[in-house]
Amino acid sequence: MAAKSDQISTFLVFFLIIKIQIGVGILGYQRIIIQSAGNDAWIAVIISGIIYSFGIWGMYKVLNCHDMDLIGIQKRLFGKWLGGLLNIIWILYWLMVGISVLRSYLEIVQSWVFPQINTWLVTSIFALLIYYVVLGGFRVVTGICFLGICIPSYLILTFYFPLEYTHFRNLLPIWNHSFQDLALASKQMSYSYLGVSTLMMYYPLIKNRKSSQKWAQLGNLTTVLVYLFITILTIGFYSEGQISRYIWATLSFWGIVKMPFVERFEYIGIATWVLVLVPSVCLYIWVSARGISQYFNIEQKKIYALLLILLVVITNLIKARKMINQITDYVANIGLIMEIPYVLFLVCLSTVISKKRKIKK
Amino acid sequence: MPIEGLVFTKNPVELQNQLLMGFISITFNIQSHQAVLVKAANNTSRQVTLPEVEFSVVGPKEALVESLDTNLYLIRKRLPIAELAVEEIIVGKLSKTRVAVIHIEGIANRENVETVIQRITDLKVNQIIDSSYISQMIEDNKHSPFPQFIDTERPDRLAAVLGEGKVVILVDGAPHGLLGPSTFVEYFAAFEDYFLNWTIASFFRLIRFFAVLFSILVTPIYVAVLTYHYELIPKDLVSTLVISRSGIPFPPILEALILELVIELLREAGARLPTKVGQTIGIVGGIVIGTASVEAGLTSNVLLILVALSALGSFTTPVYQMGNTIRLIRFPLLLMAYFIGLIGISISFCFLLVHLLRLTSLGRPFLEPIYPPRIYDMRDALIRLPFFLQAKRPIEVQTEDTIRLEPKEDSKD
Repeated sequence: MAAKSDQISTFLVFFLIIKIQIGVGILGYQRIIIQSAGNDAWIAVIISGIIYSFGIWGMYKVLNCHDMDLIGIQKRLFGKWLGGLLNIIWILYWLMVGISVLRSYLEIVQSWVFPQINTWLVTSIFALLIYYVVLGGFRVVTGICFLGICIPSYLILTFYFPLEYTHFRNLLPIWNHSFQDLALASKQMSYSYLGVSTLMMYYPLIKNRKSSQKWAQLGNLTTVLVYLFITILTIGFYSEGQISRYIWATLSFWGIVKMPFVERFEYIGIATWVLVLVPSVCLYIWVSARGISQYFNIEQKKIYALLLILLVVITNLIKARKMINQITDYVANIGLIMEIPYVLFLVCLSTVISKKRKIKK
Repeated sequence: MPIEGLVFTKNPVELQNQLLMGFISITFNIQSHQAVLVKAANNTSRQVTLPEVEFSVVGPKEALVESLDTNLYLIRKRLPIAELAVEEIIVGKLSKTRVAVIHIEGIANRENVETVIQRITDLKVNQIIDSSYISQMIEDNKHSPFPQFIDTERPDRLAAVLGEGKVVILVDGAPHGLLGPSTFVEYFAAFEDYFLNWTIASFFRLIRFFAVLFSILVTPIYVAVLTYHYELIPKDLVSTLVISRSGIPFPPILEALILELVIELLREAGARLPTKVGQTIGIVGGIVIGTASVEAGLTSNVLLILVALSALGSFTTPVYQMGNTIRLIRFPLLLMAYFIGLIGISISFCFLLVHLLRLTSLGRPFLEPIYPPRIYDMRDALIRLPFFLQAKRPIEVQTEDTIRLEPKEDSKD
């Protein structure tokens, strides 16, 4: 079991869950769901939130049943070869999500602030920063996640400015879209909530892990509320035709922020977003390194350098906007299958196995 | 004999050591090999004077001096209890310096005390001249620019933190005591905060935090905005900035670096000179050089204001060593602001946060109570709540006896 000095307080799970769910996606998820569900998109936000709440319940069910991390559970349930394959898929998935988060952020920086930025240089600096974080162990990763929520939370205040121009009548009539539309939007919305699966790796490091579920659920609820707020604001602020032209709708909100000493608030917003993004990438890198170290029995500190070199290289290989989108979609689709249906499958499997064992005894 | 501090010894090594410390040896009988040591050292030391580094308008006005015995007396008279434990360790092959580790038994965590004693006993050095030697040698992270022990010259502060359950280190010959474990926010708490009403003290403390944040960030933001993000500033303000910068031959980064270095130069010159000459230098530097460089068109007056304000901000830190750190960390931020603008500032700010997250003081987290978040300790961190709301000792120190204020009624919680 993990050393006591590595363990984190139970309520910090709340922050870890929020952190992993609110990343770069929140800056521009609206266009996609509003295209499918129009003014009912906010219902999709709630539906997929509930699905994720269900997913977290499933994860805790599996984790509490085995009391070890996902790598160990898969090894136990599926044996060395199949379990190993699944483990490698998970590790690659986490790594790819981390990379796509960083790449999406760089894309924003390139299209809003610095079109000519040297991505090699910037990703290397980011990699150094991440390396410095993860070397500090899980407590530091959690710490930066915590600060990464507290410090940028002032950005919520900036939504006061668009509030003035919001027409809440846009929400009416409620439920004028078909179930198919809503289902599609919910599925698309689920991409924004991805990442909860990291819970299955840091679970052994939580102090009172069995009773930490309420914090995880509360974290998920907070995320849903934040997304709900921004979605309703978007529906009220933009018309449906307008939103299809905005790739980063949340960023465009900042366009109308006016203060006597700041003209274009987007720049400050994007710069602050470093504090939002770095912790999530750190968590993904930590989780994949943890996975590798658990599975191959290598010391965790030795893996980081390799993972971060991979991060820098792959981030720079993905260049075109189209390619970024493709990879993000691809990773998100895999994640969607793994985080909800696959976890529920694990729940069924472990309950069946534990029942069988009881009967044998 | 009615003399204090008599020692009987047979041990020749001890005899020699004590003779060198100013004892007189009296031998009655050569055969018995026993000697009586009489303390006869002429301890000349400075009188107890006003605190100069940590001056306060209200509150006690005594400062530590170079003599360990006087310092111990200054603390003990504030804590006349049997539990006040003093452990003396001799450090230094050449200097044989007496180092005292002080704590209150039953309150201080044994682990903290033992860590300090262990680290001091393990020191293999020739000389200990000052307490800052000790603090540099036993810090958790010796390469960090952040101090991890608070350095104070106020015996009242030392007595107060002993009551909180912290460990105090006094060194013979040093007019400053060390205390640990310390947290980041403590470096921004002047001891005077405790002598003022809590509303006023909290206001001052918030001002101090704001000043420090301002001091670190303002010149980098100036450089970032004027190098890359002109659009960030509203039209009216931009015209002011452009007018002030028109005709200046240097890019913003060079301008900022020059001015920051000039301020450092002034500070360094002021610190090396006697007080009165130092003041003159300050006036000459501040007013004459400042005005002249603006009039000569070498720097913009906006930047001059910002740099001067940020220097002022860095001087608001009550602990001198933290002020030095604040002044140093501005430079990497400046460079990053020049390379990648606001994003560079964000990244280096992240580096700073991570560094603080990773730091520990005597193995206790340095950024506490911000992270790990401990709501109770927040009562005396960014703000200071009234004393009756601080019934427990800080969690950070992990004291053995956590209750500081006995509740009036026999109520739980």
